[in-house]
Amino acid sequence: MAICTGCSLLCEDIELTVKDGAISHVRNLCRKGHGHYQGLLTQRARPMIDGEEVALDQAIAKAAEVLHGSKAPLLCGWSNTTLEAQAAGMSIAKKLGASICDTSPPCLGTLMERIISGSAPTCTLDDVRNFADVSVFWGSDPSNSHPRHLSRFSYYPRGEKRQKSYEEERTCIAVDVRKSATATLCSNYYFRVQPGGDGEFIESILATLDGKIPKFGEKKRMIELGTILRKAEYGVIFPGPGMLYSLQNKLELFETLLAKLNEIATFKVVPMVERFNSRGYYQLLHGPGNSLAAAAKGCDAALVIGSDPLAELPLATARALARVPLIVIDPHRSLTVDAASVVIPSAISGMEAGGTALRTDGVKISFEPIIESDLPSDEQILARILEAI
Amino acid sequence: MVSAMEIYMLLPKTNCKKCGLPTCMAFAVGLLSREKKIDECPPLIEEKKYEAKLKKLREVMAPLETASETGLIIHPEKCFGCGNCVVACPVNVAAEPTRCGVGLGPQGDKVILRVEDGVVICNNLKECRRFGPNKVLCNACTATCPSKAIEFV
Amino acid sequence: METAVSIVTFRDIFQDEAGKKSKFTDEFRDLCARILLDKQDMSRLGLKDGQKVRVQSEMGAVIVAAKTSDDDPHPGLAFMTSSPWSNQLAGEDECMPGTGIAAKVSPSDESVTQISELLQRMRAQGIL
Repeated sequence: MAICTGCSLLCEDIELTVKDGAISHVRNLCRKGHGHYQGLLTQRARPMIDGEEVALDQAIAKAAEVLHGSKAPLLCGWSNTTLEAQAAGMSIAKKLGASICDTSPPCLGTLMERIISGSAPTCTLDDVRNFADVSVFWGSDPSNSHPRHLSRFSYYPRGEKRQKSYEEERTCIAVDVRKSATATLCSNYYFRVQPGGDGEFIESILATLDGKIPKFGEKKRMIELGTILRKAEYGVIFPGPGMLYSLQNKLELFETLLAKLNEIATFKVVPMVERFNSRGYYQLLHGPGNSLAAAAKGCDAALVIGSDPLAELPLATARALARVPLIVIDPHRSLTVDAASVVIPSAISGMEAGGTALRTDGVKISFEPIIESDLPSDEQILARILEAI
Repeated sequence: MVSAMEIYMLLPKTNCKKCGLPTCMAFAVGLLSREKKIDECPPLIEEKKYEAKLKKLREVMAPLETASETGLIIHPEKCFGCGNCVVACPVNVAAEPTRCGVGLGPQGDKVILRVEDGVVICNNLKECRRFGPNKVLCNACTATCPSKAIEFV
Repeated sequence: METAVSIVTFRDIFQDEAGKKSKFTDEFRDLCARILLDKQDMSRLGLKDGQKVRVQSEMGAVIVAAKTSDDDPHPGLAFMTSSPWSNQLAGEDECMPGTGIAAKVSPSDESVTQISELLQRMRAQGIL
């Protein structure tokens, strides 16, 4: 049994057959996870300094040298690596006085801080499976981003208090600007919002909960939604990037809604972070995190690990990063690897390297390597850098 | 997927009853549910004037030939591998209540649906509730599919 | 001929699958470099599925394939997967604007923007 590190659900029931050092057959992996596993053989990174292939040791020594000589180093990424590597990264940041950032939008950081500090009520995905009768996918499309979310936890499985599950005991609601695959499965309970309209949508729900006529949206359907939420025994909201981008710095509107819902029923919020250990990063950080846009503009060298910021970030931030010497630790070739001064190839966490990570709901999951590799893990590389600076 | 009406349009429409059914429309429905075969319509096979219709009918019926005995067709290129059908299928749940029943992938070989190499595959179709004389029109696997990767003909 | 749209990004499992294998393949490019437009916007621009369009925002431009959206009517609203291509159009902020990225779409004869071009633009000096 293996753990899939393809997304933040960290599925634990993967059965695989390994033949001649490669995975020949896999059961229970979704399409996205299968792509992740196939990455074992495709486009692996090579140790490089300024475009020339070098020995791994040289690349690690050069990385330490660049970081040591930097006046304003930035350590960024972290969501696709283990808790052990994240902790090592935080030690490096402390020793160097470096900034540390992930690549998620700041609005996610704020939500994560609320959830981890306990100011927003949360639960585990196992609680969702056992108790939830109403799941709300808000600006999130788990069918595409976390493919087994609905089958393992939020809609289709039977749970302790939900033996009749989706057939009779669970209702799923999708709130989104487009009719996503998940929204299709929610059929009559798909609510379309206009881009940027999530705040108004919340105001409408609040109005119906107070027994008032909602100002926005189709009145009859909003009242119907209000009734479902009001009658929920155990409701869970899964906010995704759609909601966070839409609300921007008005997250308190969502908090108001949560508080109001909890006066009437039990309502939890479980985040939908994308990468396998984003949750771990926030948990170790104890705060909402820094703005990467600002940090990228202010740094004079950057270490990138567990992400591909040049592929993931808006052009302005990507440009700010691309102007400084980049040290990239990554198992694969990526846009950031192509732009890097120093490339350190690493073992793939969850396949070639073991470690621990926090699932999107905060549950700690440990994994062992399933394939042998000569490459060092992220944790080992960072430990060597820490030693050398 | 072809409809009963489209099949009907390609039949003789004479209601001759030689197939054992009262009308050509009934025979079309029989073809669609695969209880009847094209060869069971003697005029269509024997009479030259129906040659073009017969050819066309064989063409439109071809995809149904590839369907399993229950009419289940999987389009692996559309499948997300999400496992919704694996967990929703009542036969799967009965076979592995502590796995499929609670959202996990199956371990044994008694299930109908399982995800392999990122997409769903089917086995043991005789266990499907749509199979055999006491069949029921269960649609747990198609109703829970996010991408129309499973359908029944 | 052009039309103004607001672009909202979304996640696509096929694109994710391709990207996890490699971001430097034609498969990944084809799954990223596309924009889903409303039927009405497609016909206003005289576009057929698969034809190239220039998508121009305040930040930059990309050439991508246009495709008719199968969602309910949403004229003026367009969808792109979240990818290096849509990131070329996004604004200064780290958060994608909640109202979508304002852009203009027009038919184009140019070929689809390659990932190497995107990387070049990121590495172009001078603008911060």
